[in-house]
Amino acid sequence: MTCTFSKELLALHVENDLLETDVRCVAKHLQECAECKGFLDGLSHRQSQLKVLRREAISQSSLTRMRRGVLSQIENSPQTLGWSVRIERVLWLGFRHPAVILSSLAIAVVSATLFAQMRQPRLQDAAAASKGAAVFADNNTLIRPGGYREWISVGSSVGSEIPEPHGVSNAPAGLSHNVYMDRTAYRTFSRTGKFPEGAVLILETSGMAGKQPIALQASVKDGRFDGGWGFFNFTSADGTIKDLAESVAGKNHCRTCHEERAKTDHVFTQFHPALKTAT
Amino acid sequence: MKGIELMESGANNSDIIQGTLSMVRMPGEDISPETAEIAQIVRLVLAGDTTSFEHIITRYERRVMNIAMRILGCHDDAHDAAQEVFLRVFRYLHRLDLEKPIEPWLMRMTVNVCRDLGRKKRQHPSTSLEHTSSEAITNSPADDPYTGLAEEQQRQMLWKALACLSENERVAIVLRDVEGLSTAEVAAILQAPEVTVRSRISRGRLKLKEIVDQLSKGSINGGAL
Repeated sequence: MTCTFSKELLALHVENDLLETDVRCVAKHLQECAECKGFLDGLSHRQSQLKVLRREAISQSSLTRMRRGVLSQIENSPQTLGWSVRIERVLWLGFRHPAVILSSLAIAVVSATLFAQMRQPRLQDAAAASKGAAVFADNNTLIRPGGYREWISVGSSVGSEIPEPHGVSNAPAGLSHNVYMDRTAYRTFSRTGKFPEGAVLILETSGMAGKQPIALQASVKDGRFDGGWGFFNFTSADGTIKDLAESVAGKNHCRTCHEERAKTDHVFTQFHPALKTAT
Repeated sequence: MKGIELMESGANNSDIIQGTLSMVRMPGEDISPETAEIAQIVRLVLAGDTTSFEHIITRYERRVMNIAMRILGCHDDAHDAAQEVFLRVFRYLHRLDLEKPIEPWLMRMTVNVCRDLGRKKRQHPSTSLEHTSSEAITNSPADDPYTGLAEEQQRQMLWKALACLSENERVAIVLRDVEGLSTAEVAAILQAPEVTVRSRISRGRLKLKEIVDQLSKGSINGGAL
């Protein structure tokens, strides 16, 4: 063929598949070009031949055989629907009903809440463990450690050589002082000779009578406080032991004394045999 | 319903095609009685009444087998494809949108199964993609035996030519020119843009003409292609 007009357009024109925008263009060209008109007639003839195939049909016996095959597979093989398809079907059909959607949402919310609640204590435990024995009620308030008497007893003394405010006003004679250190911090100190972040030391002052302490102070290694240590006094003015204690602020008596007189990083390791031998 | 009644009453294939075409609902139309009836059957099957599934097979088996036959060009493959189509339909019946006609979904599944089967055959070529006529296929008989012979030769040539097309072109030609669907319907079944479908149809028709022309010349000259 010598005419360069698009044969693709003619192939669409033969069955009226052209877009409206192309119809006029093709019709105009066909009026002028006998060659393309002849090509189109040939195409049209082949298209009519193609429709002969529509007369072919599958025999009824063949269809019946196919149908029986399908039905026997469905009936005889329970595995026709695999587990994944069964689950998909339940979800697919279930989500067509608003009640199922709402129930699923409710279950999801309840599960998420329960999961969050179960996870919360673990988080607190983890935080406590990572922070050592120091648990703060807020940034500045330390919660009195409950089981400090089970910690490592690093030193004790009898007498009143430790100055106020470790003692109490009008302190009776025969006071004893015990210093406890949390086990994790002690292990680290034993290994490295340095107090880890979160290390807690408790100074408990007891009288001769009674098992309850008459004074309780704590120092916590914490970078948020001046000098890297926070000091807390759980002893109230009336002599009772509080559950919470705010850090003693400013360049106070505690810090001054500990900075100037303690041998190792604000801690009187020189008086505590367990800490002396640990290093 | 129209298409199915025609099939059961033994109407010729052109009528069947026109009848079934009327069931292919375009978007925006109301739900047809056919769709409502199928929806009812589907609900029964999903509720566990597997025997109701036979109604679905009976309604669409001829259409599915014909399309598979025309795409694959081999009766045995078409039989296997149709079985696989209906097993997949049974397996994934829950995915059917009951407010839409089942036919486009079924046609899409048929085309996909045929493609899968064609791919397997290309990987393990035990038989060629060539039309195999058997007692399973019936043709409308011609009154004149010479005309009948010519028609049979013509059919064989067309099957050979169809087998020479690429898979995409063959599927587009079968759906558009043999099955008689519109380009929009073919595009919906193939989930392809209409412009792509037009392009495949156009290329397919030109190739088909060229191949049949060559085969005709070879046949007249007594040679073989």
